[in-house]
Amino acid sequence: MRLTVENYPPGTIPPHAEALRAPVKAFIAEQLAGSPAHLRARSWSGFDAGFSKALAARGWVGVGIPKQYGGAGLDPFSRFVLVEELLAAGAPVAAHWFADRQSAPLILHYGSEAQRTSFLPRICRGELFFCIGMSEPNSGSDLASVRSRAERVPGGWKLNGQKIWTTYAHKSHYMIALIRTSGTSEDRQQGLSQFLVDLSLPGVTVNPIKLGTGDSDFNEVFFEDVILPEDALVGTEGNGWQQVNAELAFERSGPERIYSSLVLLDLWASLLGGDPTPDEAARLGRMLARLAPLRAMSVAMTGLLAAGQSPLTEAALFKDAGTALEQQIPAEIADAIAARPDRAADPELLRTLAYLMQLNHVFSLRGGTREILRGMIARGLGLR
Amino acid sequence: MSDNAAMQDENAFLIDAFRRQLSETVTPARIRGIERGEGADALWNELYDTGFLDALVPEASGGAGLTLAQAFPLLMAAGEHAVPLPFAETMVARGLLVRHGAPAPQRAVIVLGGDTQQVPGGRFATHALVERDGGGMLLRVTGDDLDVFGTGGCSSLDEGEVVARVPLPAGACQLAAAAVAAALMAGAMGRVLDMALRYAGARQQFGRALGKFQAIQQQLAVLAQEVITAQVAARSAFVGQDFDPARVAAAKCRANEAAGAACNIAHAIHGAIGATQEFDLQLYTRRLKEWQIAFGSETYWAARLGRLRLAAQTATSADFLRQHLAHEE
Repeated sequence: MRLTVENYPPGTIPPHAEALRAPVKAFIAEQLAGSPAHLRARSWSGFDAGFSKALAARGWVGVGIPKQYGGAGLDPFSRFVLVEELLAAGAPVAAHWFADRQSAPLILHYGSEAQRTSFLPRICRGELFFCIGMSEPNSGSDLASVRSRAERVPGGWKLNGQKIWTTYAHKSHYMIALIRTSGTSEDRQQGLSQFLVDLSLPGVTVNPIKLGTGDSDFNEVFFEDVILPEDALVGTEGNGWQQVNAELAFERSGPERIYSSLVLLDLWASLLGGDPTPDEAARLGRMLARLAPLRAMSVAMTGLLAAGQSPLTEAALFKDAGTALEQQIPAEIADAIAARPDRAADPELLRTLAYLMQLNHVFSLRGGTREILRGMIARGLGLR
Repeated sequence: MSDNAAMQDENAFLIDAFRRQLSETVTPARIRGIERGEGADALWNELYDTGFLDALVPEASGGAGLTLAQAFPLLMAAGEHAVPLPFAETMVARGLLVRHGAPAPQRAVIVLGGDTQQVPGGRFATHALVERDGGGMLLRVTGDDLDVFGTGGCSSLDEGEVVARVPLPAGACQLAAAAVAAALMAGAMGRVLDMALRYAGARQQFGRALGKFQAIQQQLAVLAQEVITAQVAARSAFVGQDFDPARVAAAKCRANEAAGAACNIAHAIHGAIGATQEFDLQLYTRRLKEWQIAFGSETYWAARLGRLRLAAQTATSADFLRQHLAHEE
């Protein structure tokens, strides 16, 4: 069956999930009172351990994790509502984001019982932050070529190698790393495994990478003879590629692929008030007309995830279209305000716009590049 | 099986039957014949006799009583087959007329009124449902001969006698017209994507199929994105009882934008042959271009949608999407 609109069945968010929205909105309003737009625009790049702990105290970190492991035992629709509200408001969710979205589900599905009971409750309490170690200096889009290697040693594993572009490794407790455990990079997808790497272990060095903007969310992470315990391995040795792929539908199908510029759009909209020019109204409407079907597709994929499916190709198409829109929003607003060079722009709008204009070009890189995604779509269309 | 699942099954069966009928009746040869002026009465009578024109007419009045959501795939199918007559328009008009107390005349070919540069299928119309004096009015009409796309469209309608008056809400005709155009475009773009995929699989250059080249694959991936997002947007306009301005605005805006990209990419994949009279692709892409200027452009609908967003004064655009544009059962 090739990829068509039928792959995104029309769906609605069930009432039990919608019921979460009002309390989440109230919590966010209280927590973010007075937070300026240019900080909120950081959204899932904004790191605030205090916010994540407060959110966890309400039971809203790891909502999809069963209660026995400290989670709220809610379904993907509930998580969609929670995440949609957090992102729309520009809540600083980065601290718990990767554990919540990827690491906790991975440990739940592939981890041992001991790993579940050890890690999941601490993630859900907002005490353990994770980063995701995928890219390496010579493995970007070609992820299967990773060279970091773990060898069996008595009682565990010895890890050597390097990861790069690891978001918030410098503020995380653990990394879930994709590591070669057998063969060579010639063996591609074979021989890869996933490890829980305690970043406080001897031999781990984390160096922040400074961006042109002065921000340093990214890091390079070095492993030099790091001794990992036996149970650092998650899932099955050699099954890393399959496990990583199972995460991708979660990573690419959510509202974070369409809302990264929403705080800016809404600040601009609020400044337009009730009296936009025809050009301004049309620019705003054009963005919304693009957002509307994408949100519907994200809801549709949430339904598929809730039904136990893994809509990988669907998520690839959604993410490619979504990140293009996230890039377009700052460009449209920049064009709109600078179409009137005679008029001073609102300072907070300028700060927020400048933050996103300096970063929107990389929105299509994180979580799988445009070219990789289009290759997946082409496969879904039967072309390869 | 639940009632809901049984209904869905029945609807899927209905849509399959309709598709098969269209494939048999509305052949490319027949479309070309009608475009050459060989007369459309025979095709209209065949389409009329299928009964599908009463899909939206309540069961109590002898129709199939489908909801807008259930009828949407029928409209997409009409677009997919480049039905060269205002079939979808008549279907929606008949539903509106009956629901407001005035059954449509037998075999009437009805277009929907509203401000527009081009009325698709207008030259074949016997009637138009238009908005007048704060209500709806069914008029006898004759289309002018400004059929600039050669599809049987016209730029204006000479109005004749008033056949019926119906209490339609303000703006309903134009919303229906734009929604129908978006659905037809969604269907036609689906066909254009199919044709591009098939051609890329068959056409050999440099010793292999076009579809094996990464540059072509990446373009086709973009084409699929444009088409599928436009189809989802159009589907979202077909919910509830009546067409809603925000939903129609998003649907027509997205359809128009996507149609430009879809035509460019599909024709690029085909090369010059795609634009020739003998090749079918142009039957769909010429119509897509006509629908782009029918009942409001992307900028027109985008501006309306933008104003609706500002008037709604929601705290965030996510709230606006959820409250005004999300799918509803």
